[in-house]
Amino acid sequence: MQLFSTPRRASAGPPLSGAAMQAGGIALLALLLITLTVLPVSARTIPAFKGYVNDYADMISGPVEAKLDQTLKSFEQSDSTQVAVLTVDSLEGDPLEDFSIRVAEKWGVGQKGKDNGVLLLVAKKERKVRLEVGYGLEGVLTDLLAGRIIDDVITPRFKSDQFDQGVEAGVEAVIQATRGEFKADPSSSQRGGRREESPLVSYLFFSIFFISFLGSKVSRKVGVVAGAIILPVIFLLASSPGWLLLLVLIPIGALVGLLLSFIDFFSGGSGGSSSSGGGYSGFSSSGSDSFSGGGGGSFGGGGASGDW
Amino acid sequence: MRHVVLFLALALIVPALTGCGYNTIQKNDEAVIAAWGDVEAAYQRRADLIPNLVETVKAYAAHEKDTLMAVTEARAKVGQLNLGSDTLNNPEAMANFQAAQGSMSSALSKLMVVVEKYPDLKANQNFRDLQHQLEGTENRINVARVRYNKTVQVFNTSIRTFPNNLTNNFLLNLPRREPFKAEEGAQHAPKVKF
Repeated sequence: MQLFSTPRRASAGPPLSGAAMQAGGIALLALLLITLTVLPVSARTIPAFKGYVNDYADMISGPVEAKLDQTLKSFEQSDSTQVAVLTVDSLEGDPLEDFSIRVAEKWGVGQKGKDNGVLLLVAKKERKVRLEVGYGLEGVLTDLLAGRIIDDVITPRFKSDQFDQGVEAGVEAVIQATRGEFKADPSSSQRGGRREESPLVSYLFFSIFFISFLGSKVSRKVGVVAGAIILPVIFLLASSPGWLLLLVLIPIGALVGLLLSFIDFFSGGSGGSSSSGGGYSGFSSSGSDSFSGGGGGSFGGGGASGDW
Repeated sequence: MRHVVLFLALALIVPALTGCGYNTIQKNDEAVIAAWGDVEAAYQRRADLIPNLVETVKAYAAHEKDTLMAVTEARAKVGQLNLGSDTLNNPEAMANFQAAQGSMSSALSKLMVVVEKYPDLKANQNFRDLQHQLEGTENRINVARVRYNKTVQVFNTSIRTFPNNLTNNFLLNLPRREPFKAEEGAQHAPKVKF
C-alpha cells in the first residue's frame, strides 16, 4: 500500500488520477480482507520447527531446554535417531493424534528411509501428552512401551507440575528404548539436500546404451540417425525448447550418435554405472530447506497418548 | 533394416508413453494397492489383539458374557474375510470388509463401556497395556484409511483427467476406486478414555 502512495512511484507510472488510485487501493484492501476471511480455519496451524526442543507453551525452563537440546543432538549424532519435543498452549480443537501426526510428518522427524523419529507432544490446556513414533522405531518403542512411558514416567511428574522433570525423564526413557536400533551414517552429515532422480536420467542412460548398440552392432549410420532423433526428443521431454534449439540439437545428436557408435558397451567390458542416493541433513545442519529440520521420516500413527 | 526401424519406433514410443499418463496411472494404481495393504495390516493388528483382550476382561468381568460374545463373534467374522488386493477390485467384497470391520468396532466400543464398571480391571497392568495397544491400533487404522482415501483420490483424478482418460479407456480400463466412507456408528469407535 505504501508503494502506491509514494510520489516517485506515482510520477513514474502512467497518468492516474488520485481518485482512481484510491479506488484501486480500496479494491486491493478489500481483496486482502476477503482472502483473510476465506482462509481455512478448520485445522490448527503447525508451529514452525525451531530445534530439538520447541517449547511454545513455555513449560520447560531455559537450562533444561539447553541440556535436552545437547542430549538429543549427541543422540542423533551417534544413532541418527531424531527425537523432537513440542509443547503447545492449546490444540485449538484438533484431535491430539491428528495434530501430532501432522506435525511429525510436516517436520519430517527421523531420517528418510530409516523412519527413526519420535515426537513428544505436550498440549498444556488440554493436559494431554502424546508420543508419536516413526515406522522404523515401532519395533522397539511399541505402543505398549510408549504407553508405559507416558503412564509411569511422564504423567506422574506432570501431575505435580514438574514439567522439566517429566519431559527430561520422558526423553531419557525414549532414548533408552531406542538406543542401538540405528547407527548414524558416517557421511550423512556431509551430504545435504534431497535429490530425486527423474525418469529422464534413466531415459538418458537407456538411450546411450541403445544408440551405442545400434551404432556398433547394426551400422554406424543407424547410430548417427538414432542420435539425431533421440537427443532432441529427450530435450523435448525435459523442457519445452524452441524449434530452433531442436534443429540445432539434431546435428549435435548425430555427432553424439557417431561418437557412441565407436564405444561398444556390449563386447565384454562392463559399462555399468551406479548412482548414489541423496543424503539427508539432520536437525543440526543449516540446510537450505529451513521449514523442516527433520530428515523426512515417515509415521503411521504408532505411539501412545495420555493425559494428566 | 526393418528391425532397425522397429527399434527407432520403440525408442520414440517409450518416452511418448509418459506424456499420455500411462506411467502415472500405473504408479497411482500401485500406490492405491500399497495403501490398501496398510489398511488391511492395521485391521489385522486389531484382530490379533482381540483374543488377549477378551481373556483379560473375562478374568475380571466374567458375567459380561453377551458383550464378550459379541466381540468374539465379530472377531470370527473378520477372520473369515478374504484379504489381498482382490478385495479392491470387488465392490461386494469391499462392502463386506467394511461391514465386518464396522461391527468389530462397535462390539469393541460396547466392551470398553462395560469395562468402566470394573475398577480392578482398569488398574490391571496387562489391561492397561492392551488398552494402549488398542488405542494405537485404532489410530493406525484411522491414519491408514485417511491415506488410502488420499491415494484413491489421486488415482481417480489421474484416470479422469485428459489425456490420461483416453489412455485408460483404450489401454488400461482400470475402474474407479471407492474411497472409505464414514462407518456406521464410527463416531463411537472405541475411544478408550478413562
